[in-house]
Amino acid sequence: MMPVSGRRAAALFIILAAACRMRGADIPALLAERVRSVVAVEYFTETESERRTTVAYGTVIDDRGTIILPPGAIDGHVPPAQLKDFKVFVPGDPSNGAGTYLGQDAYTGWHFVRADEKIRERLVPVTRFAAARHAPVPVLGDEVWGIGLRPLEEDFMPYYLGSHLALVQSLPQLTGEAQQEVAGPGLPVFNRDGVLVGLGLNSGGQPYVLYSQANRGGAPVYLVDVEESSLFLLAGEVLPYLNRIPGRVDGRPLAWLGADGLAPMDRDVADFLKLGGHSGAVVSEVLEGSPAERAGMKDHDIIIAIDGSPLPVFRPTRYVTEYVDREVERRRPGDVMTLTVLRGSERLTLMATLGDQPTLIREAKRKYFDRIGFTAREFVYGDAVDRRTRVVNSAGVIVHYVKPNTPASIAGLEPDDWIKDIDGVAVRSFADAVDKLSAIEFDPLRSEFVLLVSRGGDTAVLHVKLK
Amino acid sequence: MNLSLPRSTAHLLRLLILGAAALAPVLAAAGMGRGFNQLLDSVVRIDVREVDYDGGARRFQASIGSGVLLSSDGLVLTNAHVASPRAVEITITLASLERVGARLVGWDHWTDLALLRLDMGEVRRRRLKLTHGEFGDSDRLFPGETVYAVGTPFGLTRTVTRGIISNSNRYFEDDNGVNGYETGAFNTWLQTDAAINPGNSGGPLVTEDGRIVGITSRGYLGANNLGFAIPANVAKGIVAGLVQTGTITRSYVGIVPKALQDFEGFYALALDTGMLIDSVDPGSPAARAGLLGGDVLLAINGRKVDGRFPEQLPPIQNLIASQPVGSVLVLTLKRGTRVSDASVVTERLESSMGEESVLDAWGLSVRKVSRTFARENQLPDDTGVLVIGIHPGFPADAAGIQAGDLVTKINEKPLTSIDVVNQAQAAYAAKPGPTLLETVRDRRVSLYILKP
Repeated sequence: MMPVSGRRAAALFIILAAACRMRGADIPALLAERVRSVVAVEYFTETESERRTTVAYGTVIDDRGTIILPPGAIDGHVPPAQLKDFKVFVPGDPSNGAGTYLGQDAYTGWHFVRADEKIRERLVPVTRFAAARHAPVPVLGDEVWGIGLRPLEEDFMPYYLGSHLALVQSLPQLTGEAQQEVAGPGLPVFNRDGVLVGLGLNSGGQPYVLYSQANRGGAPVYLVDVEESSLFLLAGEVLPYLNRIPGRVDGRPLAWLGADGLAPMDRDVADFLKLGGHSGAVVSEVLEGSPAERAGMKDHDIIIAIDGSPLPVFRPTRYVTEYVDREVERRRPGDVMTLTVLRGSERLTLMATLGDQPTLIREAKRKYFDRIGFTAREFVYGDAVDRRTRVVNSAGVIVHYVKPNTPASIAGLEPDDWIKDIDGVAVRSFADAVDKLSAIEFDPLRSEFVLLVSRGGDTAVLHVKLK
Repeated sequence: MNLSLPRSTAHLLRLLILGAAALAPVLAAAGMGRGFNQLLDSVVRIDVREVDYDGGARRFQASIGSGVLLSSDGLVLTNAHVASPRAVEITITLASLERVGARLVGWDHWTDLALLRLDMGEVRRRRLKLTHGEFGDSDRLFPGETVYAVGTPFGLTRTVTRGIISNSNRYFEDDNGVNGYETGAFNTWLQTDAAINPGNSGGPLVTEDGRIVGITSRGYLGANNLGFAIPANVAKGIVAGLVQTGTITRSYVGIVPKALQDFEGFYALALDTGMLIDSVDPGSPAARAGLLGGDVLLAINGRKVDGRFPEQLPPIQNLIASQPVGSVLVLTLKRGTRVSDASVVTERLESSMGEESVLDAWGLSVRKVSRTFARENQLPDDTGVLVIGIHPGFPADAAGIQAGDLVTKINEKPLTSIDVVNQAQAAYAAKPGPTLLETVRDRRVSLYILKP
């Protein structure tokens, strides 16, 4: 440690004293201003059998009342049509305004919601508290603070959270970790001058070992704080992307490479493969008809560079796969991606022209049959991948949901079953299945029908009794 | 349904000797004849020490079961889940309380039967007298008939319990019921309420005259007196086959049956006709012949089949299985309104459990992927070994390999047989150095380095 000269120590003392005075004087005022950039958002997920409420925290990003929610705030598998009644709450106020769901951005993972006019004027975009040019990068030990929100029954009352920056990691985005919780997940983090330095992430689990008389320690349990977090994305990972507001609720266009099941490698493997201090990602499967396949990629190729830049080594090393995924997600269909791959001892350069994501499961058509008791869903590309079958000759429909104690559930139908035949006749398409099932559903004289389903590579003949 | 695994400890051994000595007079008083006494003298206790591969290291575990002497040349019949090829030491305790070594002649997990042979050199040297039991006719059993189970429950040698035949034709199939191996597809079982406990496994189920009508195998855990035994008429055939070749070879075509029950109307069939094909194994002879799930099998080589009820399925499956491997079978099928014949050439039936090995230098125990395992798990082919155990702190553990991983390549060499794996490990043991493993788990391909 360096000896501190008398003068430097004095200077340090003055700065510290100034900081203390500032904090004592300004934090309440800073908080009062900045609390107008945070909201709570409530919405319902409406499925065949239930209506589920979810509450998430969001940050206001512009004057039009646009709010970003963290990636985990809404389940990405749920079709947007099932997301209903978005409500935007201003902290500490029981009244609320309506919100509109705008969709999810693939690159940042954020969900975008827009508040209606009624509430819009009470909101202040967080960008107003951002530095004019470059977002300040906090250094270890800096004071950082943010806002937490109490639950709905306490009108989402805002409260102060403060700590100091303990660690910055690349995961693969620059992520700060404070000593204690500094913000609700999805809410902004500021430095002591009130300048935006980050956005709260979901809390990482903290390992604890439980001791009791019955349990003398053992494997640690992970406790996850769902209301507050000590992790945040640094502002430099947030501010440049606030303009990625989806144009469509389905989030399209979505770039697609089709190199599936990326697996990371540890340093021993990278050294063995002589990657010279860089990393790689193993491609488990190259998907049928994908841009990766057209570019000549093969199963088990190892991606070692993108557009000439070798893949960096992350700590933990597993973040390399997310790095590659994000490199695809930040591009657009039609963009060319140059991939250097290792195949055996050969190094190859592949030019992949990214495509458009095939229909996702959340976009698949579906129809619920109440009398039979299940939801049929269109067979999409991902279903063919999951079932290891050729996309081109896949027909049939997927069972999305089975209602308990209905003819379908009693017959043994299960979610994810792939219906191939109805009454001994092959299902050609979703529309064909809907026709056949509707005819059965609305025929009061029908007492039974037979399904042939495929499940884990086997088939099963199911006898559905309607009476 | 799997209570009667062999008993692991013999803490009650001291009590046994008294009981054994007192048995014969009591039975005579109960009016049971010489046949029963002779049977009692033919029931043995079996102590097995076997390799346990689960921990990533070569470990041994001991278990106890029952058995019955079948011949004066020392054949002992027991369960496959008592004595298997994993056994490294088998010790038989005769009714005379003399202990003799034995070896495995062969086993058949499908019927849960194993055949042992006493060390006859030792028997002759020690001038031991052998008494053997006789099979009865299990087809003539009727529900309600009195039967006795004899065996070594919880190590209590030569325990006799009494009950009745509860059902003489019980169907159950279990994909991993015999220490991970499949069982029950080709036979039905005798159900009895005679008390059966862990350790009874492999002992005989006998009638009052001492004839062996079944081999006690299993029971429902937690139920009251729901025990099951392999019928003697099934066992006779298996014993003959094992004596001859040490193994039972069956034919396979790849159809998964389902009882038709009240499907007849839908398929427009006469009652008591046909067996529903629930599924056709991908890549199997039946799949190649164009069979599909939902087809109805009407006849095999012109012989009509009736699979209306579950207990009628094993005989149909056995009809296929008992054909020589490579036979051509003509299957008459109904699909929709059309009836047609398909010819299939049978293959050899294979378990999903492949050969196992312990790779001590890496702290890894593995099982070869079999064709059946590959098919059941939708793998492209049977390349690779499945990791079934990891020894903490050894190279495989340090690299991050986990049980359930499928190792497909070592140093870029595909693992087409267990020998390839064993050789790679031997090379490593001789000269340890970084070794590259390719694994698949949930379809994700990962690379690992094993190093000293």
